[in-house]
Amino acid sequence: MSGRRGGNRIRGPQSALTDFLAANNISAAQIRDDYERRRREAEQDAGNAGEGPSNAATEQTEDEALAVAAQAEEAEKKSKKRKRTEEEAIDKIKKAKATKKGKGKGKKKGKKDDLDDDNDDDADYDDDFGMYKKAKPVPGQLEHCDICNKRFTVTPYSKEGPDGGLLCAPCGKELSKDLKKEQRAVTKAASTGKKRRKVESDRLDGIAVGGAKSLSQLCIQKVAQHHDDIEELGDLPQSVLERLSEIFSKKRVMKSKTLPLFLRPDLDSVVVHDAAYLEEEDYQQIFAIVPNVRKLVLSNTCQLKDGAIDYMLERCHDLRHIQLYAANLVQEGMWHRLFREAGAKLEVLKLKWLDAAFEDLVVRDMVKYCPNLERLKLKLCRRLGEDAVVSISDLPELKHLSLQISQDVSTPTLVNLIEKRGSGLQTLSLEKFIDADDSVLEAIHENCTQLSKLRLSENDTVTDAGYTALFTDWDNWPLTFADFNSTRDIDNNNSEGPEDAIGLASSGFRALMEHSGAALKHLNIASCRHIELSAFMDVFNGAQNYPLLEHINLSFCNRADTSVVAGIFKSCPALKQLVAFGCFDVQDVVVPRNVALIGVPRAQDAIEQFGIGIGVDEAISRMVEVAA
Amino acid sequence: MASETDYVTLISKDGFSYVVQRSSARISPVLKRMLDPTGAFLEAKDNTCILQDMPGIVLEKVCEYFYYNEKNKDARDVPEMDIPTELCLELLMASDYLDI
Repeated sequence: MSGRRGGNRIRGPQSALTDFLAANNISAAQIRDDYERRRREAEQDAGNAGEGPSNAATEQTEDEALAVAAQAEEAEKKSKKRKRTEEEAIDKIKKAKATKKGKGKGKKKGKKDDLDDDNDDDADYDDDFGMYKKAKPVPGQLEHCDICNKRFTVTPYSKEGPDGGLLCAPCGKELSKDLKKEQRAVTKAASTGKKRRKVESDRLDGIAVGGAKSLSQLCIQKVAQHHDDIEELGDLPQSVLERLSEIFSKKRVMKSKTLPLFLRPDLDSVVVHDAAYLEEEDYQQIFAIVPNVRKLVLSNTCQLKDGAIDYMLERCHDLRHIQLYAANLVQEGMWHRLFREAGAKLEVLKLKWLDAAFEDLVVRDMVKYCPNLERLKLKLCRRLGEDAVVSISDLPELKHLSLQISQDVSTPTLVNLIEKRGSGLQTLSLEKFIDADDSVLEAIHENCTQLSKLRLSENDTVTDAGYTALFTDWDNWPLTFADFNSTRDIDNNNSEGPEDAIGLASSGFRALMEHSGAALKHLNIASCRHIELSAFMDVFNGAQNYPLLEHINLSFCNRADTSVVAGIFKSCPALKQLVAFGCFDVQDVVVPRNVALIGVPRAQDAIEQFGIGIGVDEAISRMVEVAA
Repeated sequence: MASETDYVTLISKDGFSYVVQRSSARISPVLKRMLDPTGAFLEAKDNTCILQDMPGIVLEKVCEYFYYNEKNKDARDVPEMDIPTELCLELLMASDYLDI
């Protein structure tokens, strides 16, 4: 008795039962509290609906079937209940701390309560036996681990096991590692920042501009996600198969294992945009399974070798379209053989990124053995030069020609090419012919009458007068695709350019739109920085109408400003995409419906802005208000 | 000629029938043409389309997609509809057939 003086928290037993419990380290007060709380919750839950499947449906409204609405309600109730349980857990923890038990005890009770709430019977059952459950031992005591049954000393940091008891240190560490992995997986799946970026990236790819994605798109994404689990693709039609192969290539999962999904004996085209992981056997498999292939598209085919081409020539006798990008392990002899044996039927040939083995002589052989070649694309083949262009001029059936040759090609050669083949050409694309001059344009003017796609880019010799002369009184029908990007004078000392403008400038631009405005679909005048504001205003002034124009790129035309953009919206009813990087006078644009405006920056805005469901007229009137 | 009802019926291969709003079924150009009252198709008269190749579970997801699409037509940053993995290949074929 003399021991009980100020500050001494040891109390004597209140009753015989409490005495007995205390001797076994069980706190009667705590048991009473827990029982009261459990009873309270049981009463409240009796009023709630039972547990439904937790559907994270928060965005569905009355349009959906009633079942889904009911599910949404249940989900709400469950989240309310979860919140309540959380609050109570916090209370328990506080109480537990007050009674000097570990934090684990609070959690433990929380879990038990959840289980109890499911079933009223359980609560009653537990009530009777609650007092016999062993309480958490105080730190400092010895205890057996729940998982491995080893004896260890209880510390304030002892982790709690799945059955409610405590764990020894190593088991506890393992458990927390597993928990952390789960948590990370959950947060990764639910990270909203990533979702938004993905939505914007899809929009830039032109997949979804406003509104929901198409069902095909959603399914293809899902398939690509689970590419590991797919056994076979069944009877999908060829177009869907090609879209799927595009997505697989994009995600870099086109490997030996997934390739067979796309190979069926009845197909007539094999399209693999990323064949970097495919090896010798895979190529042979392609030709073995699909011997009737007519269109063969293999990009990034770094591992394609002579043996595979040999097998291809043996098996596939119907090849019409060959597109091999980066096939650098194929030797020169094999190229010669390819053209000799398969050249007769070949109609389309597209080769990029070729190096030592592909030289002018090979091109000469190609022209000799492929008389039916209609489409030819040769870009970034390091060894090709003047002779190659000379040879190409002799292809009789050529309709579509696309060249990017790094070695110097003299202008007369180009002129010769156009004079010989110009009348039959529907597509002409000459990239990076830096020294080509006005005579090339004259040749086009004289000889080409069937062109629908014209590209002359990255050139700093052709003058504006040349472009004007080309488009004035030209017998050709209106172009659908015009690309003159990066045609301007490159002289760092004279940024305004010379008096007689070089590259596509004001008068050339006016002439181009006058000639082709009615049929133009794609217009690319990026970096044609000598085009003056007056020219833009004359062309895009709302009175003119360009009914088919869908894609415009006027990046780095720094004379363009907001009124030009407004004029574009007015003049181009079919506009889908307007790219305007580096146009610093374009500000405060209100984008109408279905239009994607890319590249107009303010520090805080998104780099792309999308139409927000308003019409063109309303958008323009809003812009006028802002400007005023 | 039958007048345009608000709802149409879609019947699957295994006999399940789904009643959906006409405006949402019209999202598929195929169904739109089938149900067009000015056309002479039997489907337009009965306001019913029988889809011979589609199992019921797939058709159910398709109907769900109709409503999801119609609801989110003008919205931005739309959350994607959930598609169970087992269904996705058949659903892909169905979406290709219906052109949605």
